[in-house]
Amino acid sequence: MGRVLTVELRQMCERPPKTCGPKDLANTPRRAPGDRLFLALCAAAVVLFVMFIVTLIVADALYVDARAVGEVLRSRPIRHALWMSVWTSCTTTVIALLFAVPMGYVLSRYRVFGRTFIDAVIDLPIVFPPLVAGLTLLVFFSQTAMGRWIQQDVGLEFVFQPKGIVLCQFLVAASYAIRSARTAFDDVDRRFEQVALTLGCTQWQSFHRITLPLAANGIVAGGILTWARAFGLFGPLMIFVGSFRGRTEVLSTTVFLEQSVGNLEVALAVALLMIFIALAAILAIRLIGGRGQFRL
Amino acid sequence: MIRTEKLTFSIGQFRLDEVSIEMARNEYFVLLGPPGSGKSILLECLCGLRRPAAGRIFVDGRDITREEPRKRGIGYVPQDYALFPHLSVEDNIAFGLRSTQITRTAARGKARQTADMLGIAHLLGRNVAGLSGGEKQRAALARALVKKPKVLLLDEPVCALDEATRQSVCAMLRVLRQELDIAVMHVSHNLEEAFSVADHAAILNAGRIEQAGPLDSLLRKPANEFVARFMRSENILDAQAIGHIPDEHITCVRIGPVQFQIPGRHEGAVKVVIRPEDVIIEKADAPPLPNTFAVQLLASRDFGSFIRAQFTGPPDLVAHLPRTTLAAVAAGPIRARLLVENLCILE
Repeated sequence: MGRVLTVELRQMCERPPKTCGPKDLANTPRRAPGDRLFLALCAAAVVLFVMFIVTLIVADALYVDARAVGEVLRSRPIRHALWMSVWTSCTTTVIALLFAVPMGYVLSRYRVFGRTFIDAVIDLPIVFPPLVAGLTLLVFFSQTAMGRWIQQDVGLEFVFQPKGIVLCQFLVAASYAIRSARTAFDDVDRRFEQVALTLGCTQWQSFHRITLPLAANGIVAGGILTWARAFGLFGPLMIFVGSFRGRTEVLSTTVFLEQSVGNLEVALAVALLMIFIALAAILAIRLIGGRGQFRL
Repeated sequence: MIRTEKLTFSIGQFRLDEVSIEMARNEYFVLLGPPGSGKSILLECLCGLRRPAAGRIFVDGRDITREEPRKRGIGYVPQDYALFPHLSVEDNIAFGLRSTQITRTAARGKARQTADMLGIAHLLGRNVAGLSGGEKQRAALARALVKKPKVLLLDEPVCALDEATRQSVCAMLRVLRQELDIAVMHVSHNLEEAFSVADHAAILNAGRIEQAGPLDSLLRKPANEFVARFMRSENILDAQAIGHIPDEHITCVRIGPVQFQIPGRHEGAVKVVIRPEDVIIEKADAPPLPNTFAVQLLASRDFGSFIRAQFTGPPDLVAHLPRTTLAAVAAGPIRARLLVENLCILE
């Protein structure tokens, strides 16, 4: 009986027709003139924007000479700033994701009291003027009793300290990770989690075996935004941690310092270094993600 | 096997109202009802995805009302199948086994065995995204069955499939129930589907069970007008009892200007339910018989295997006729004859 059933079912399991891919677009019917104009406008927007960015980078690159590049690569303080930029932005991203994943999940899945207010507070740092973020932190840690207690009694010193860079970056950039994680969890159908529960999973197991992998794309995209925002942060850092050579200097403040003393070629060379690192990081994540779960 | 006692659940304006049903071991039970009647919510209460406000659920005599879904021993296939899109078909099927103590290899072996039984072993390496509706349905079924549940809950399992696949999947579900010795609860709003699989059925309407029992009794002896209409008894006529025939347990009723004799003792206003297939249309000059009256053909519609014809009386009637009957009687005056032994009376 089972064999007969199997044969019948196998006959029913015919391969479905292939879905239309990008290469098939050439075989689509002729388009109306209005449609062609619409597609041309869309394509023009893409071309104009990409050209705008590439032109600016090329203009910078043409301004920089080999001497400036050599100076940047040889300079110990700039190498230190590069290291500070990379580790602080990566640390900030990890901490932001550690907050973003549980926060995004709980806000997406549960009716939290005061959710509208919480949402507004989470989005607030995105619209903060950068200088205000730095000033707020400075006022909190230097002018309030709690801030002084954290710095002096607990011993966690942030003002004009490398740790302050991470705190500053976290304040300004974590909202991107939280917002992205929440949207990613919203996009995962709850039905998957429910079915996982009936298949023997606890809620934690259904989260890490089903929800998290399915939301990974959005979470990683939020991580990239957070990292990029943290890597390029400048204004709040100048106020909260300053730019002390060899201690709290990061690449964005290096650019400011170099151009303020008239060393424009070196400032641009550092800027190009930042662009190159950011581009390499984003491309690497996209390429790794292309082979794994979190395709972007 | 599975039993509910006055199960109550509310969400927004909707309320499941003291639902009591019982399914025996190895029984194929179909839960029928119009869209929005609460069929899916009832299923979700049974498998633990919704917590009932009151009432109890038993599986094999064990109260599982407050049990976690994973400990209930109930397999669940939702309407959209909910196959995990980031896993292959094999990993989907083996998913439930990974949370037990068995090794990955053993889990894969069992997944292959189940896939073989359902005829989808050749799909094991495939991604879920490329599967057809029927393939997804069988993969979801294999995923639910691999853990050998005592009860299998299927939420509209074949509604997204074409007619041919639907029939073959329904046949497969009955065979599986027999081979695996499990109780199956199948949610549907489709009568043909229910008849092709069910041993017993219940009709749910606005959160209440209107009637439960063998499908034939739902068809022949509907408990109320809703059940009669849901079972497509299109002729529900208002009648008035006007007297009884002594010693014969027969009541004379008047429907409009026509008198009928119906079995049983009834008083006052009643509703007479006549199934369209129990109306006989014949030439008016046939030998006189009781319970006949003149009718005229108003409209007809061809359904392939039968013709649905509307007649004006009084009383007005709908009949399902073989093609040949309508052609033979259409020419001259006609009359309708009711098979009184098949009538159903709603008090």
